[in-house]
Amino acid sequence: MLVHIHSLQLSRGGVRILHDVHLSLAAGEIYGLLGPNGAGKSTTVAAALGLLVPDAGEVCLFERMPVPGDAAIYARLGVLAEQNGFYDWMTAEGYLGFFARLYRRRLATVEVRDRLARVGLGPRPGQRIGTFSRGMRQRLGLARALIADPALLILDEPTNGLDPRGRREIHDVLIELAGRGVGILLCTHLLDDVDRLCHRIGVIVEGRTVAESAIAELVRTTGHMARFRLRLSGGLPEVRPADCRITLLACEGEWCLVELDPSLAPENAWRELMFLGWHVTEICREGGGLEDLYLSVTERRAA
Amino acid sequence: MSPALLIARKEAGELLLSQRGLAWLMAMTAALSGFALLLVSNTELSLLDNAQVVYDMVGIVGALGALLAIVVGIDSTGGERERGSLVPLLLVPASREAILLGKIGGIAIAWAVMHGLALPYLWAVGSTGQNMVQGAIILALLGTPAVLGFGFLGIVLGVRLASARSGLLAGLIVLLLSASPLLLGPGLRQSAIGRAFDAVNPFSSLVNAADAAIIDSQAIVAQWDHILVAYLWLALTLWLARAGFRRIVQ
Repeated sequence: MLVHIHSLQLSRGGVRILHDVHLSLAAGEIYGLLGPNGAGKSTTVAAALGLLVPDAGEVCLFERMPVPGDAAIYARLGVLAEQNGFYDWMTAEGYLGFFARLYRRRLATVEVRDRLARVGLGPRPGQRIGTFSRGMRQRLGLARALIADPALLILDEPTNGLDPRGRREIHDVLIELAGRGVGILLCTHLLDDVDRLCHRIGVIVEGRTVAESAIAELVRTTGHMARFRLRLSGGLPEVRPADCRITLLACEGEWCLVELDPSLAPENAWRELMFLGWHVTEICREGGGLEDLYLSVTERRAA
Repeated sequence: MSPALLIARKEAGELLLSQRGLAWLMAMTAALSGFALLLVSNTELSLLDNAQVVYDMVGIVGALGALLAIVVGIDSTGGERERGSLVPLLLVPASREAILLGKIGGIAIAWAVMHGLALPYLWAVGSTGQNMVQGAIILALLGTPAVLGFGFLGIVLGVRLASARSGLLAGLIVLLLSASPLLLGPGLRQSAIGRAFDAVNPFSSLVNAADAAIIDSQAIVAQWDHILVAYLWLALTLWLARAGFRRIVQ
């Protein structure tokens, strides 16, 4: 495991912030850490990085407990923190070169520019970081996190402030990295990012992990009915599905709304409908996914 | 290049290339110019002799140097933490000691720049007499530990206090208290409290050693008690900075 957190408890200023946090991340996995504002996500990340000392519980990075200034761990780690500050008087090339040398990597100017281009930052000779937009700073922060070709990436809101194309580019970079075996811990409020990128998620509410699993597994185990809008050519057939786990809710014109029991995989449901002669030409998800799951899990806890 | 050197070079860039750093240096130069003008005017009017103006200039350079050092110390810790640039630095594969050493290097460079800026002003007020060299030596020998100590104190305040602004305020209060020998009248300085304060105050050590060496023409090596206080102050603040920086958190 790249990250292993078990029963983590942590206080700051005499106030208990984390009560019982669990998290585990393997190589090549993208893990989404979700939770409402103030739930303790950033504190969990800070504890994982060795920046905060836990009261109790177990925190391991690369199978060992991180301590402040642990060079062996930090050399294999890339971090994009929540509050992402830069040296505004430097240029992007100078900034990345500075961090590359701190990671004991001597990068030629061409290599530095390649690294910047990889996250969508074109060459800007002489332009100081102080003049960069929020999105450009975010890309520069990601380039810095990737400078040491880390085995583990911890990213707090990496697509914040990016335009849709920029988000897609960063998604592609992260998917490629995960494909090469890099473990990625992603803290975000953007459920679209989580839905597209993450293999597993953990939800923290009021300092406790209230759910941790693969998204599909969580949807199934938390009993969320998935709703789909189906477009049928030739109208609604007379024959209805025998499987009671498929419920027909409504029909209007060539569209009908069905609800699937969490225990039934959608592809099996479509197979059965087609077998019964339903000519399904289009399928659209209608809620019941990650957003509903997130709201349900966080509300249930708050109640 | 070692991480400490890289960070020290970055800190020097922060002082010499950033708008904030340049503004501080401009302010220091303006203050030195104003004081130098006053002292030269006094010399021209024969109100102060050469030794007295060099002594005054040494005290002013020491006070301004300590102010700059304390600002650099707070900015390199508390300021960076507020701007969000400290965490990436704390997560590079370098020990906390190496990072702290880089920060200390930044303070030392700031003092070297301040010392360099002060030399033409020392020359301007003291070139007509024999005291300029003593002034420069006193600044190097006693000014350096006193000023660096204030810089280390700045690191401690930056680490400990919640905001850079409150750190700066606390630093200015400490600096004003320490520089009070310049403001206290001779009567109060001769009292038991005044003498006790003088004995432990690094700033007093600087001005008293300058007084003895420049005005009373005593040998600089005879000021070993003042030199000792200044270096003890340096060691104490270094120890505090090291202990504080090791436990610095987000």
